[in-house]
Amino acid sequence: MANRLPWWMGGILMSGLLLLTFSIYGADHSLGASTYVPYFAGIIFDLDPEKYTYLKEIKNSGSWEGVMLFGALFGGFITSVFITKTFRFSFVPTAWKTYKNNSVVSRLLWSFFAGFIMIIGARLAGGCTSGHFLSGMSQLAISALIFGGVVMITLVVTGHFFYNKKAK
Amino acid sequence: MADVIFVTEESNTLVDRVFQMVENVIGQEHGSVALVFLIGVIFGGIIQYSRVDKFEKIAGFSMLKDTIIPKMLFLAIGLTSIGLYFMIEAGGAHYHVKPIILQGLIIGGILFGISMAILGKCPGTGPISIAEGRMDVLIGAIGGLFGGLVFTLYYDDFFKPLMGESLGKTILPDFFVGNEELTVLIFGVALVLIAILIPKVELFDEADLSQLPDEKRPDRK
Repeated sequence: MANRLPWWMGGILMSGLLLLTFSIYGADHSLGASTYVPYFAGIIFDLDPEKYTYLKEIKNSGSWEGVMLFGALFGGFITSVFITKTFRFSFVPTAWKTYKNNSVVSRLLWSFFAGFIMIIGARLAGGCTSGHFLSGMSQLAISALIFGGVVMITLVVTGHFFYNKKAK
Repeated sequence: MADVIFVTEESNTLVDRVFQMVENVIGQEHGSVALVFLIGVIFGGIIQYSRVDKFEKIAGFSMLKDTIIPKMLFLAIGLTSIGLYFMIEAGGAHYHVKPIILQGLIIGGILFGISMAILGKCPGTGPISIAEGRMDVLIGAIGGLFGGLVFTLYYDDFFKPLMGESLGKTILPDFFVGNEELTVLIFGVALVLIAILIPKVELFDEADLSQLPDEKRPDRK
């Protein structure tokens, strides 16, 4: 059994999963993966779901994605242990060491900061790579096309200025 | 003594609310809990198996040193757009279109693009990286929870007005009335072609491949 899936097989399988999720014989739902974060924040910080407008708005999609997330953690863990053999504890990605620095503290601080603004960004836009790119663009939604264009440009511009593209 | 009671009550609330989450899914007609969980398992499996949760793939793309992300993403969208359109026409699925909230999409997109380049993950691939032991991403997720907290607390006063009004849930075929099918076909085929035509460039991670026997390493083919 191959330890890596080629990109085209990954794309075909992901398309099959999206169609299953959208189908009335499946979940009749779009695939998303950022609403669960404020949903869990509400649980962990013990916010009253009846008191906050936003928690009321995301009650349904947040819980749907929450259950899906547990599945994704399970699927990712099993695959990493038995198929890709990549399970290990690590703090700094190899390419961060090559193109940024060797500091664990720097990586963790940047990770915390990026995670923080990532969720604010995704919730402002109403979706992320899954909700807007995969699900939204597959419906040819104008909202997804705008978000996709802005993200692609910002991603490449940030990559250009944030990293030292010549390997150390 | 009082402390002990406090702790028990807290953990009860947490467990109760996780049960509530599951009950919410049962209450919605969007698949059984088992199906939604299974969708997650397959989602995690595909992402893990194709390695697109890796920092080298996402941050690598931001440096234009790896193109697996856009290739796989555009192929999946191209195929799904055609399949989904005909499924909806046949009554086998519904549209779930997100509204055009212009300011939210642009400001949110900029914040999202910046953070995706730095973290090298997105909210879908992040948890799958944590599942394979990436502790830096766990810190990123804790940052994300605080982001979700701040968003929830200041939603009414700050974030909701910042997002602006919805300009409707328009889709591209709405601009080509009478030629909807053709629009979808051209869009889908164009994305599949783009996915194939983007040159394949890969940034490999030695730490990730060292567990594999030589003949199975994709970088030694």
